[in-house]
Amino acid sequence: MWRKSKPYLLLLPAAGTIILLFFGGIFDGLLKSFGYFPAIGETELTFAAYDSLLHSGSFWESMALTLRIAALSSLLSAVIGALVALALFFLNDSMKSASPKAWHRLFQLPLTIPHLVAGYIIVLLFTQSGFVSRLLAAFGWIDDITDFPVLVNDPFGWGIILTYAWKEAPFVALMLYPVLSRIHGSWREVSRVFGAGNWQFVREVVVPVMMPAWAIATFIVFVFTFSAFEVPYLLGVTYPSVLPVYSYQLYTSGTLSDRPEALAVNMILAAITILLGLVAYYFSKRWNVLKGWG
Amino acid sequence: MKRHPRLLSLFVFITLIIFIIVPFVPLLLSSLSFGWRWPDVLPESWSFRTWEYVLNDGRTWQAVGISLWIALIVTAVNILLAIPAANALVRYPVRGRWLFEAIIFAPIIIPPFISVMGIHLTFLRLGLTETVVGVVLAHIAPTLPYMFRAVMISYQTLSVDWEDQARMLGARAVPRFFHVVLPHLLPGILAGASLSVLISLSQYLITFIIGAGQVVTLPILLFPFVSGGDPGIASAYSLLYAAIAIAALVGMDAALKRYYQLNKASQGQAKGVKP
Repeated sequence: MWRKSKPYLLLLPAAGTIILLFFGGIFDGLLKSFGYFPAIGETELTFAAYDSLLHSGSFWESMALTLRIAALSSLLSAVIGALVALALFFLNDSMKSASPKAWHRLFQLPLTIPHLVAGYIIVLLFTQSGFVSRLLAAFGWIDDITDFPVLVNDPFGWGIILTYAWKEAPFVALMLYPVLSRIHGSWREVSRVFGAGNWQFVREVVVPVMMPAWAIATFIVFVFTFSAFEVPYLLGVTYPSVLPVYSYQLYTSGTLSDRPEALAVNMILAAITILLGLVAYYFSKRWNVLKGWG
Repeated sequence: MKRHPRLLSLFVFITLIIFIIVPFVPLLLSSLSFGWRWPDVLPESWSFRTWEYVLNDGRTWQAVGISLWIALIVTAVNILLAIPAANALVRYPVRGRWLFEAIIFAPIIIPPFISVMGIHLTFLRLGLTETVVGVVLAHIAPTLPYMFRAVMISYQTLSVDWEDQARMLGARAVPRFFHVVLPHLLPGILAGASLSVLISLSQYLITFIIGAGQVVTLPILLFPFVSGGDPGIASAYSLLYAAIAIAALVGMDAALKRYYQLNKASQGQAKGVKP
């Protein structure tokens, strides 16, 4: 009896904590999104919040903005991250054991910077009176502050996209690099025997090898940027706002009737992220990318 | 590319500098400037005004202390929860393994603020809002999966034979854990702890919802400045905040290296004594 139930008892504290604190909170939110507030005498379950959300223009605008920002940030991080990983790979190849270790460390620096700080770095760089604008003015490429495009707190979300590109590109590179380092030097020699140049080697050998990890890393960045709050809260505009910020605005608007709607936005967000997570998990299992993730 | 390693490495080096280092330059300049008007690339005059303000303000150090305190408690709780769970999942035939993994890894995929916003009113009723305990409870879900994963990887490389051998030599469960299992898990625990501390340090929204402005961690203190406050002070706070996050990480790394060195030294001694 003890032998059989032992692993479950060992799992109980961790799983129980997550169930109670995390899923309990989600369930609590789910009930309240149906208008269940026993504290103020509301015990009937209704779909009113979902109904009014799905019929409101601002919700769909928010959804479109969120998808656009997540898609552009993940694509941009994917491209930069892959270039970084490839550069490090070829550098290692040509320098053998000199100093690439320290460079790897340096490349991971943006990963350790908190999101709010990363957002503020982008503010200082890309506001109309920011550092990039000053540099352009010094080179005489622009004459006035207003010649510089509005890239921060803009309705399109460029500031948010730039912040994510800076922070998540090293993440993509970090996911790709171990995969690339599995490519043996001998493969390169074989490819040369068959007459392949550098570019052909990249296209025929390196890219196929890194493809699965690349796709998964990009997907993880997409799911994260889809549901993150801090950066769009700092760098976005009040309207339209991304879904997490939209939910927060509704939650703190002051009127109690907006709260079920805020929680309904959360539930929709949760459903989407679970779905995306399952897709990512399925493919990573199939392609065997996330070793050690179970 | 083989023919121009110099050129390539120079190119990569310059790109690296532009991409990683240059973004910090305006942050540093802004924190040291005194009135930095638009077309000037460098500030006209320099001053330590913002750093004096930030470093002399008692709230700064209080926020640093509370942030680290919360991160440490969260990490300690995570270690206690993760070790038995990882042990069970790696070494025992568990039915419904996927379900347990799904439960523990779920907070990586589903954003934690969804759960925290849902549980907010319940926390309010229980008197957990505006308290450090409440914030710690809110920080556990987003950090535990990373600790769990790190410990799980360590367990995968620890053969049961080692413990069996210790058992044969007469070691009971507790010494077996502290002398055989724990030393092997330690690198994994430290890796998980760095992630746990880093993630706890960077939580803004869930700390704000549960702490309700009363539990002032670094991001809570920073936010009003970066969203339209004095740019100089915002920059100084940002640099301090980033430095503490990096220092926490580097500190863990150094602790790990030191541990290995000490281990090597003691092994060397043991070898020296043996013959």
